Amino acid sequence: MTRTRGSRTRAMAVALVATLFATACGGSAPSNDDEASGTIRLLTPIFEGADGKTVLEKQLGDFKEKYPDITVEVDYTSYGKLNEKLTTSIAGGRPYDVMLMGVGWIPPFAEKGALAELDESKQELTQRYNERVVEPGIYQDKVYGLPIMLDTRFGLYRKDIFAEAGIPGPPSNFAELREIGRKLTVRDGSGKLTRAGVDILSNDLRQTFLPLMWANGGELWTPDGKPAFNSPEAVGALQLMTDIIRTDKSEDFGFTQPGATGLPLAQGRAAMMVGHNNHLLAIEEQAPELIKEDKIGFFMINNERPAMFQGGTLATVSAKSQRPAAAKALVSFLTDEQASLAANEQRGNVPALNSLADSEYVESNKAAQFAMANLDAAYSEGGVPAWLEIRGDFKAAIESALLGQKTPQQALDELVVKAQAAIAKG
Amino acid sequence: MKRKVDARWVLHLLLGVGGLIMIVPFVWMILTSLKSRADIAAYPPNLLPDEWVWSNYQAALDYAPFGTYFRNSLLIAIGHTVINLMLATMAGYALARVPFRGRTVVFMAVLAMMMIPTYTKIVPQYLIAKGMPFFGGNDYLGRGGYGWLDSWWVLIVPGALTPFAIFLFRQFYLSLPRELEEAARIDGMGEFGIFARVMTPLVKPAIATVALVTFENSWNNFLWPLLVTTRDDLRVIQVGLAAFQLAERTEWSYLMAGSTLATVPMIVLFLFAQRYFVQGFATAGIK
Repeated sequence: MTRTRGSRTRAMAVALVATLFATACGGSAPSNDDEASGTIRLLTPIFEGADGKTVLEKQLGDFKEKYPDITVEVDYTSYGKLNEKLTTSIAGGRPYDVMLMGVGWIPPFAEKGALAELDESKQELTQRYNERVVEPGIYQDKVYGLPIMLDTRFGLYRKDIFAEAGIPGPPSNFAELREIGRKLTVRDGSGKLTRAGVDILSNDLRQTFLPLMWANGGELWTPDGKPAFNSPEAVGALQLMTDIIRTDKSEDFGFTQPGATGLPLAQGRAAMMVGHNNHLLAIEEQAPELIKEDKIGFFMINNERPAMFQGGTLATVSAKSQRPAAAKALVSFLTDEQASLAANEQRGNVPALNSLADSEYVESNKAAQFAMANLDAAYSEGGVPAWLEIRGDFKAAIESALLGQKTPQQALDELVVKAQAAIAKG
Repeated sequence: MKRKVDARWVLHLLLGVGGLIMIVPFVWMILTSLKSRADIAAYPPNLLPDEWVWSNYQAALDYAPFGTYFRNSLLIAIGHTVINLMLATMAGYALARVPFRGRTVVFMAVLAMMMIPTYTKIVPQYLIAKGMPFFGGNDYLGRGGYGWLDSWWVLIVPGALTPFAIFLFRQFYLSLPRELEEAARIDGMGEFGIFARVMTPLVKPAIATVALVTFENSWNNFLWPLLVTTRDDLRVIQVGLAAFQLAERTEWSYLMAGSTLATVPMIVLFLFAQRYFVQGFATAGIK
């Protein structure tokens, strides 16, 4: 059912984006109000649920004290439905003044003129943020989005399982990853997998493949913006995933999936995984003793270079906002220390501001600490206006290689052809 | 005779197994709604909760304003059902029993409407709702405001009349004997009287079927209410349930508790209307 709804919403998203493209150029120009006042609308895919709402309302209360003439109307949604909400509101001529969106979303919306340029320069921003964190908010050298929070993917491993097997530490390259994976894989007498040596299926497949590709020296795009994810380095990364499943049998396809009710690493059914910083919270809920006894460790995915996947949430202003000054004031507020710390703490994510590296929250969250310490090796997806369309095709391509239906080279070559078509369509 | 009894046993056995297979997901949903997070994550999974966490229901209700969502879904579903029954019976009757020029073309248009995918209509419907004259600050040309957006109008009017219901009623009215209509006419009854007092009471299975299908579709509607509302006080239960699926994780116990509560009205409705419902589908030849 979820899958059906997912495919329907993907189809819907494509149709809506097409409509957006057709209508984004119309409508009235924003007014030139220089005063931060009036009622503005905020669309947020974070701060869901009662806890999130409480956090945001507290922050908006403080915002109201600072800007008594601005009223904020909030529309809560989730990332799963964000594209539909954004594109329908823009295509329908009723855009939100402030829109929170993900890494990779800026180019598609900026390209179509849906986003307003923020009064920030890259040089200034790199004083407050790591340069890697700033990049996803920039399109064609203009700043359109400021980061509120980051979510990262890297390696997680069970220190106790490693110690039992006499393995001194996490893998430092692909060969070690495979070797340790093989060594720590356990099957019962009937051959049924009871512990995966390395779990590459609990995380979204695209977000597992990409950090492996970056670690192998690959890139998503060539310098002139052409797809590069069928380069030898990218093929090597997918070959690694295929080898883990098909050759080493360190995990069986179907052993688990993203969003499964139980995380194999927490259950002792996996020795290491490519995971999300937020998986630490899942482990804390499912097996709190693992955190208390310090049995979870982290590692950068490494081969040619260390790499970590960096996603996140950015605050943007609509190009059609009738209250741009008020909207920009809200963006500044939501991305400042106090509000962004509260948002990160509520979700267990990684703060974007350098100054929050010493905060009590980061010091108490080892995954956030690890991510912030390694931001120099963080890479982000996106980069082209057609990304939201292209990214949906990664999963099928990766699966076709993992199932042995295609070689990694064939799977990625076909993916590149699809991407080129999406880019050409504009 | 013995062979007949044996065949019935086999049939009942097969139906029983089929019924069991159908009910397992619902039982699993209810049991999961009563488990703790650690219990849900346990491997191998336990059928029964280690500890029966009834508080998941209260926690789910506290997670979002489900009382409001429930009320909204109920009002919209009832509104859609009543409007659809009133208008679709009349339209179906007209297409089946009232000869007029272009009737076939109109019927073909109704059939064609059934073939348009819902998702392709979303943006045009959104624009129509936004451009509704004299509503939401709009002028007589539908400019300047937001029309029906963020109002009960936009939740109830679009989708209140379905081509499927018109088609189904037409098929039922066609199947009624012409003699009934003629007898009523000879007795001096007008067209509306024939429709309301003679013919419509004979299409109860169609009424039950359309009522149940409309209520169910409306109750399960997700995308349209999500897109056209921005305020919590206008959100519906399916949109509320989606809040349990966060980007990084899913609150399974709350989601299952909320889903259990959301399923109850449909089950109750089906229990009351199942006889007519099955009859309606069997007569119309629709699966």
